[in-house]
Amino acid sequence: MSRLRGSLLPALLVLLTLAGAFLVLATGPLGVTPDALLTAVAGQGAPEAELALALRGPRLLAALTCGAALAGAGAGFQILFRNPLAAPDLLGVSSGAGLGAALALLLGAGAALVQGAAFAGGLAAGTLALACAALTRSGDGRLALILCGVVAGALASAGLGLVVVVAEPYSQLPSITYWLLGSFTRATMPEAVGAVVPVAAGAAALIWLGFRLDILSLGDEQARSLGLPARPLRLLALAAAALMTSSAVAVAGVVGWIGLLAPHAARLIVGERAGRLIPASMALGGLFALVIDRLATAFGPAEIPVGLLSAAIGAPAFLILFVATSRRS
Amino acid sequence: MSGLRLEGLVAGRLSRSGGGFRLPPLDLTIEAGKVLALIGPNGAGKTTLLKTLAGLLPPLAGAIVDTGAPAYLPPPGAVSAGFSVLHLTALGRARLRRWSPGLTPDDLDTARAALDRLEVGHLADHPFDRLSSGQQQLVLIARLFVQDAPVCLLDEPLALLDPAHAQAVEAAIQALAAEGRVVVASTHHLPFAARADRVLAIGPDWMEIGTPAEALVPDRIRALFGVEVSGCPCCGQALS
Repeated sequence: MSRLRGSLLPALLVLLTLAGAFLVLATGPLGVTPDALLTAVAGQGAPEAELALALRGPRLLAALTCGAALAGAGAGFQILFRNPLAAPDLLGVSSGAGLGAALALLLGAGAALVQGAAFAGGLAAGTLALACAALTRSGDGRLALILCGVVAGALASAGLGLVVVVAEPYSQLPSITYWLLGSFTRATMPEAVGAVVPVAAGAAALIWLGFRLDILSLGDEQARSLGLPARPLRLLALAAAALMTSSAVAVAGVVGWIGLLAPHAARLIVGERAGRLIPASMALGGLFALVIDRLATAFGPAEIPVGLLSAAIGAPAFLILFVATSRRS
Repeated sequence: MSGLRLEGLVAGRLSRSGGGFRLPPLDLTIEAGKVLALIGPNGAGKTTLLKTLAGLLPPLAGAIVDTGAPAYLPPPGAVSAGFSVLHLTALGRARLRRWSPGLTPDDLDTARAALDRLEVGHLADHPFDRLSSGQQQLVLIARLFVQDAPVCLLDEPLALLDPAHAQAVEAAIQALAAEGRVVVASTHHLPFAARADRVLAIGPDWMEIGTPAEALVPDRIRALFGVEVSGCPCCGQALS
């Protein structure tokens, strides 16, 4: 019974998130009925449904992908480091991506190039953290990774600060600031699809790791004693999580809290096992991003940056979850 | 399962500055089905030797011949996991499932059987972290049965345990050996050493291998721990 329930719950959460996506498309200014949407997705719908899909589809896809990516990466890091505070930017990936995007904006690059630079910056920071950690010889490399992640993040933040200082205050600075606050608005369909591919690859790796992540969470000694090659598997998990985070930040900018909040909420529902926690976290992260993005446009014509909304909603929600979990035990 | 053979094995930890320590070379054969107890004061190198045998630390010299895949178990309380006891036990099958998509129902059945065997089957769905040290240790030994490693290396398996759990864990350890595995266990609980097949005493700069009857006489205990005892220094129980 519990075995069945355990594997069904993540699937239910995924369905819930997909239903949420339809609901978001069906409500709002361009509201269309779900069945009109379904036929439009199939490629032969009414014009207004086609229009809704074309205008809001990319943004919806971007929100879903980024939310799922940040939540999946956050869950992966939390399991791997056995640290409930581990977030997707643990390896300095978010700061690195921010620096990459800001540099590209400073040089006047177009949207696609900014996304590419952010992606490269995030991966560069993550690689730097992993390489530095590989140089250390502390027994169980987790502490070294956290410290090196802090170092890589701090270096990238310093670079970002420099870019902000030298940026043209009236033309460049607003676009850099706006980018850093996060938004799903700027995503076009090719950009959103461009994020889906690496996120799906990273998610596939994390989901395949499944019970192997559970073993890695017991520490390297236990992993090796149970017959797993601890270091390569951990490297795979870290690379997958860094890839997902970089892709998300490259599309949406820095959107915090999803990666921290969604895994905790998912843990309350499906428990600690990585094989369930990662898909469940991704579903909830996608749903959370959808809701935030819907709220961003809900208050008048001026759009609220999702990074701000995410923190304004995520932080109190996190506190509530924390209180709920601690009272339960 | 052919046993464990050590040829001039030197275990130790060296630091770059030339410090650290090394144990004397060890030539030893332990047949399958036998229990070797490691005794000695804190810091003598029992854990270092166990981790070297487990392949977690490199030997400084010599070799471990044909161990198959050894399993190392840290002292009670050292493993922490938020997921269920059943899942943790089934992870013992990881070596068989290294590249497969997941654990199979068969793995879960094996795990359940091992838990039932050690009479902790009723805890299967509890989170591992909520168990007492004694229950956790029984679960981890159940995982050794699931893992089916030919060499089981246990670091102070009886530490922190009440007498009833210590008895259950000791019975489980004897069962591990009885099925043809080599068991090496460090302990401060000398009655456990007294019931082992052989005892390796690790002193500050010497090692001595012998039968329990040879190793556990008062003057050898005094040489090892520097205290005068009539029974077990940890619990006063008589050494029979």
